[in-house]
Amino acid sequence: MDNGIVISTPPHVKSGRTTKKIMLDVIIALLPAAVCGIVYFLLDALILEITCVAFAVLSEFVYFFIAKGGLNVRFADSETKKLAKEIRSLRRAGQPCGEAESALKARRAELKKAAFAKSGGVCKKWARGFDYTSVVTGLILALILPSATRWYEAAIGAVFAIVIVKMVFGGTGKNITNPAAVGRVFMMISMFAVTVYPDANFGPIDGGAIASGSTFLSGSLLGKNPDPNAMSLLDLFLGTGVAGCIGETCKLALVAGYVYLCARRVMKWLQPLRFLATTGLMTAALNADFAFFMPSILSGGAMFGAIFMMTDYVTSPKGLYAQIVYYAFGGILVALLRHFTHIETVSFVIILMNLIVPLLDNFIRRRPFGYVKEKKNKEGGKK
Amino acid sequence: MKAVKGKFFFGGVHVKDRKFLAKDAPLEELPAPPEVRIAMTQSYGRPAVPCVKAGDSVKKGSLIARADGTISSDVFASVSGEVTDVSELETECGCKDTFVTIRSDGRGEEQFMPPLKDPSPEEIIKRVRDAGIVGLGGAGFPSAVKMQPRSEVDTLIINGAECEPYLTRDYRLMLERTDDIVRGARYIAGALGAADVMIGIERNKPDCIAAFEKYDDVKVVALRKVYPMGGEKQLIYSATGRKVKLGQLPADEGVIVNNVATCLAVCEAVELGKPACEAVLTVSGRSIARPANVKVPVGTPLSYIIEQCGGEAEAPKKAVLGGPMTGVAIKSYDLYVKKTTSGLLLLSEKEAAAEEPTACLNCGLCADNCPMHLMPMNTAFYSSAGDIDNAVKLGGTMYCIECGVCEYVCPAKRPLIQAIRNTKAAVRAKNREGGK
Repeated sequence: MDNGIVISTPPHVKSGRTTKKIMLDVIIALLPAAVCGIVYFLLDALILEITCVAFAVLSEFVYFFIAKGGLNVRFADSETKKLAKEIRSLRRAGQPCGEAESALKARRAELKKAAFAKSGGVCKKWARGFDYTSVVTGLILALILPSATRWYEAAIGAVFAIVIVKMVFGGTGKNITNPAAVGRVFMMISMFAVTVYPDANFGPIDGGAIASGSTFLSGSLLGKNPDPNAMSLLDLFLGTGVAGCIGETCKLALVAGYVYLCARRVMKWLQPLRFLATTGLMTAALNADFAFFMPSILSGGAMFGAIFMMTDYVTSPKGLYAQIVYYAFGGILVALLRHFTHIETVSFVIILMNLIVPLLDNFIRRRPFGYVKEKKNKEGGKK
Repeated sequence: MKAVKGKFFFGGVHVKDRKFLAKDAPLEELPAPPEVRIAMTQSYGRPAVPCVKAGDSVKKGSLIARADGTISSDVFASVSGEVTDVSELETECGCKDTFVTIRSDGRGEEQFMPPLKDPSPEEIIKRVRDAGIVGLGGAGFPSAVKMQPRSEVDTLIINGAECEPYLTRDYRLMLERTDDIVRGARYIAGALGAADVMIGIERNKPDCIAAFEKYDDVKVVALRKVYPMGGEKQLIYSATGRKVKLGQLPADEGVIVNNVATCLAVCEAVELGKPACEAVLTVSGRSIARPANVKVPVGTPLSYIIEQCGGEAEAPKKAVLGGPMTGVAIKSYDLYVKKTTSGLLLLSEKEAAAEEPTACLNCGLCADNCPMHLMPMNTAFYSSAGDIDNAVKLGGTMYCIECGVCEYVCPAKRPLIQAIRNTKAAVRAKNREGGK
């Protein structure tokens, strides 16, 4: 037996699943939507996707670098100052100063080496701990933007999402809301371009026409004279002729991602369905017409939000009953807000639901296996 | 009787079991080691008090230490020879314990109790106590105490689940000693007055299920292959549908669970008069040259067993006493087999988990898979902040059975069991202070 032996508490074997692998799975699940976005919105979509991912990763790195003291290095200290002063006074006196100069040079080289070693260490630490979460955030943010967004606007949104929403709260696993959703809402409020939805590259293939400049959702479903049959369900499903965000138009790609995530057991298959079912049912109830059920699910960001944003590990509740309340309430809220505000509200709802997750976790507690209800005596105290 | 399916419960995880390593190695009796060191703490509860001194000659089966109180067990010499030393040594968990050292004389003389014929319940319980039999599933609770429950018991469940990865001891015993196990179970059921005898076996051992289906008075339950199926509460629920309430014992629900190895020990104690002085264990892992299931005297040095099994094939990353999910990691082979030792694993670098933990993702996998339906991440989170009250309240720590599922599935490799044990220790310390 050698000294390389490891001692720890049990278990001594662990599953092969790591954070990195989960995040890679999510990226793979997002790829069909990303590719469809490029097909539908051409170069605009590609530029936005690259910008968002790049700026998300970069801002995470910069924040990490600064926070972990990568900039807290010195190229001059009291010794170099003293030497420089000495050289100056020697020069003024007209005396040779070669010795002092070489000493100063050596000291400066020494400080430089130490500084680079320190910031290099921080970079290495970041690279070792890099778990693709910022890539996922960047990609999701790009996919929920309309293609008319300029690249610099998207970059600002990505930096805001990563720095303000994620890193300031403590990085991976500590953010209280979905960074991409907050980034998108931030841009929606501050920038005009984000509220304009250009048409997709393809016309409707199954008949029906749509007024350009407004989405199916705000035009037909939530407008003054709601008409759920203005577009065929097939067109809505494939995203042909639908105006919308880059990744949200083609539902087929989203379903592919959903199937992949379920097959890899990254996500429980029932959860997005709960959200979508309540959204559809509530919309149908508000309009008193069941024809609204499918169009309300297939339009806007409901499906993307349900699959990739509501199910975000960090910001969803952990107990089964809390999860049911979370998804069902989210669905109802989406339908209600859509009905009364006449705009797309999925991002807002996701943020709102994220914020009440700690409450849900606290009030809807799990009961241990073999739980017996605690009997209370007359004074109301525990028995 | 024909096997029936076990009931489904939420939680648990499908662990890579790697039982194929030692599955086909039949039980073998290793030649007796030249020297054995027998620990006095062989069971749950107080250590036994030695009643021999250096220079005494003992035979295999002679009493060398008496139980101290009810929750304790007698200890017996496992080889014949001379007691050379009674001293304190370090055990696998790092604390001190008294050890009796016996040098073998190689003659193998035996001193067993007289066999019993058609014993009455009282006789069986007395024999089980006199033979120092303890629960061999891992906890080592004295069996005689378990056989005198405070409430009526109608069902005896034999635990043949063996859900721990790597271990194949129970599997080999069930195949090779089927009849002895059933007879032992009948003795226990007779002593308890239990009408039903059930055996729970995981579905990945179809040959064992077939072997027990031959007996008409044994109900076979084919359990789902999921860890921790062999946990007492999970097994009882799966086999009978009864839920053991929190803070209660299985006997309160009318059930007693015993491991197959315990049943075998009871059978041998009753029919042969043999006390608990031998242990059967699985030696496995990719770092051992020849994985095997061996029968050794209690007190055999681990280094001797490893030598007999062909030594190390490669340098192990972890050495584990017991199963990989609940066992103890050891740092040297200068340790000695106990009655309850069920396995010795040398895990190679590929198998052993030794990654650095990363930040908690809050994914909730630990809670999803917890067989006790607790919230391990809350325990870890609050206890790391020193908030023990909230850790217990929101995490349900005190109900934890420490099966290790949460840490097994954790994608961030967080040390959850460590956090849970720390929290439990802190709560106990607090209660002790409060009691004073």
